[in-house]
Amino acid sequence: MASRKKVLLKVIILGDSSVGKTSLMNQYVNRKFSNQYKATIGADFLTKEVTVDDRSVTMQIWDTAGQERFQSLGVAFYRGADCCVLVFDVTAPNTFKSLDSWRDEFLIQASPREPENFPFVLLGNKVDLEPRAISSKRAQQWCQMKNNIPYFETSAKEGLNVEQAFLAIAKNALAQQNSTVDLYNEFPDQIKLTNTNKPNSNGDSCAC
Amino acid sequence: MGDSLTECMEIFSQDGVQLKTAQASFVNYLNLVGTLYITEYANSNCRRCLEWKPNDVTVDSDVQDQEWAVVNTVQKRSRTYSESLPPDSTIKPKLLKVNFVDIKSFKTSNKNRQLTLFDGKSEIMCCFMFQHGNCDYLITVLRGMLKTIPAKRDKHLFIVIHDESLEAAQLDKSFAELNIFQDPPPTLWKLVKSFHDRPYETTLETFAKVTDYVYRSPEQRDIDDDQRELLHRSLTEYASSHSQGDYEVIAKVPELPERKDYPRGRPLSAEQWKNLQNHEGKIEDVEQIKLMIFRGGVAPNLRYEVWKYLLDYFPWNSTQAERQKLLCEKNDEYYNMKLQWKRMTKVQEDNFSDYRERKNLIEKDVNRTDRTMDFYAGDNNPNLQLLYDILMTYIMYNFDLGYVQGMSDLLSPILHLLKNEVDAFWCFVGFMNKISSNFDIDQAGMKEQLQNLHTLLGFIEPQLVNYLDKHDSGNMFFCFRWLLVWFKRELSYDDVMRLWEVLWTGLPCENFHLLVCVAILETEKQALMENNYGFTEILKHINDLCGKLDVAAVLVKAEGIFHQIKEAEHLTDNIRMILGLPLVGVQQCPEEILSTSPDSPDEDLYERVYDSMQHVMT
Repeated sequence: MASRKKVLLKVIILGDSSVGKTSLMNQYVNRKFSNQYKATIGADFLTKEVTVDDRSVTMQIWDTAGQERFQSLGVAFYRGADCCVLVFDVTAPNTFKSLDSWRDEFLIQASPREPENFPFVLLGNKVDLEPRAISSKRAQQWCQMKNNIPYFETSAKEGLNVEQAFLAIAKNALAQQNSTVDLYNEFPDQIKLTNTNKPNSNGDSCAC
Repeated sequence: MGDSLTECMEIFSQDGVQLKTAQASFVNYLNLVGTLYITEYANSNCRRCLEWKPNDVTVDSDVQDQEWAVVNTVQKRSRTYSESLPPDSTIKPKLLKVNFVDIKSFKTSNKNRQLTLFDGKSEIMCCFMFQHGNCDYLITVLRGMLKTIPAKRDKHLFIVIHDESLEAAQLDKSFAELNIFQDPPPTLWKLVKSFHDRPYETTLETFAKVTDYVYRSPEQRDIDDDQRELLHRSLTEYASSHSQGDYEVIAKVPELPERKDYPRGRPLSAEQWKNLQNHEGKIEDVEQIKLMIFRGGVAPNLRYEVWKYLLDYFPWNSTQAERQKLLCEKNDEYYNMKLQWKRMTKVQEDNFSDYRERKNLIEKDVNRTDRTMDFYAGDNNPNLQLLYDILMTYIMYNFDLGYVQGMSDLLSPILHLLKNEVDAFWCFVGFMNKISSNFDIDQAGMKEQLQNLHTLLGFIEPQLVNYLDKHDSGNMFFCFRWLLVWFKRELSYDDVMRLWEVLWTGLPCENFHLLVCVAILETEKQALMENNYGFTEILKHINDLCGKLDVAAVLVKAEGIFHQIKEAEHLTDNIRMILGLPLVGVQQCPEEILSTSPDSPDEDLYERVYDSMQHVMT
């Protein structure tokens, strides 16, 4: 079973340009907001030590460029991700429409072991702004269609819901990592056709 | 070449073979996938050949007119290449052909998915990647047709033996003559002795020792040129065949010339600038002025004027009167384009999603470009409107490119300096013309630069490149931000202006900005390797250099590196191509390059002006 040593959770934040990826990351890690963040070029990450379910974990949060054409470079950064955070701007309908392609592109490039069970979390950011273009209901419907992705409405500017959202992200990432560790532990000896030994998987996670 | 007319027989073929490396004239074929053949010509002196043909011949595919480009090692061909044959020359070979007699060794790598052929003169003839499966069968066929021996130290390397009697006699002679040395070390005696008994095995075993002997004791090397050349060739072949692919470098790699310091000069002053213009306001010696800017940059109070030349807004040879006329024309042209988007109706916009998307992106980026600078700070700052208007007009100027993130960073210092919408626009156009490939939709330009950076760094710091490769960082993505906006995010405003104006001169070579990267990475080598950084730490370390770089020091180093590369004996055409240096043809051996290739006029001038400036400065 998974060891008790300190774990590193790799989290990737994706979404259209200017939805607030950098701001969310900085609000969560440094509890700071600035409207002077420059457009992200290339990629960068911040780390934060947190305790999740009594376990001490290090979250490594990756911030990437939002313009579509820079995504071909993503593959190098997506590798080994434990959770993918999709962000849209609740006042900008186009950023919501792009979610499908962000999700698909991530799955293609990161090619996780079990794409259908890979944890995503959706954040509808900028709820402090008016007018609202995407309702909570609409966002939740999208999440339901995608295998019940957890959804949070946040404001990086006001720090609203950011802590809660990232806690959920950490939990999902940890669950993902544990199930992957289980897979590693079990496969070399025998392939089990039942999933009774997999406490953290939501559904049938066996790839057979 | 008459071979195409003689009857030929196909002995072997394998498809799904990608061309990875070849001589310069095949640059357009690199990375194409094709079929590899072994053919036998009934009536020819080079009977058997290895031939590669791309699957989709999209260039000049006149089937009737078969042009055969023979990759051979005959040195007469190199003359044509020293004339700097452009990569997209009109002669488009359709078929890459290597005569068996020219293959001196070959090796497999990457789990036998890659095959590299060597010409025995320190150069790779060509390298193929086998996309479907491996080259095992081909190797079997090759070894059946060529007499080969596997190298002792590398079971993937095969030395081809062509004419045993001749070659053995040559080596025999040269080593016998080595006996005349005063007090040769015992290893050499032993070598000569066992060489007679087991010539080839002994050669391979003892080359490394001979390397040491030859390199370490130049004062004892009173041997004539023939012997030296023969030894050198064999040694470089051995070294190069061991420094390719995934293998540790075990032989002594050729050394770079000593690094020299090229101290920075003073910025171009208003007085110098004035003196270099004639009575009509024409710049008389453009190259000299560029060189002065390269060496020292431009005095801040003169940038307003000089940048317009550096960014190809004003032609260098224009007179004052011509520039006045040009200003009027460019003014009209700009406002015409600006009106095009200003007049776009809502319906037009609604029906033009690409345009809407670009407009939206510009709006967002303008609001987060250098807002900490006074010039762009505060709400409703009119300069933000200028930034926006110029970028929007650029969309009209270049529909294909449109707006890509990073462009606002490139425009910001230009507008800040010129404080004039029209001038800033045209200067921005000039800058974009220089680096538009950074913004390709498929990122091809960026990928190519990252690859070229890897190649250049490998030439200067093979150890570091090896380290990066082994730590998931061989793609050099950690330099992406540096390259995309030319260090705009890493440097202060003043420093970035200095760096850009130096780079805009295009001196001392093409892609000098990559050597700037090499210089910084070389400085960081120790930090990266001693801390045993992996992919994430390397990226973090490089990102964190922001605000810590010393532009002048980096430029001194980069220039030193340029001269080291230029003067290196083992300089390859691949590197020459990246830096825009005249090609000499891959077949030529290093000694010849040094003795026969004339310095280009630019280089001459470079030395001349550099010397004169040294005098002025001291």
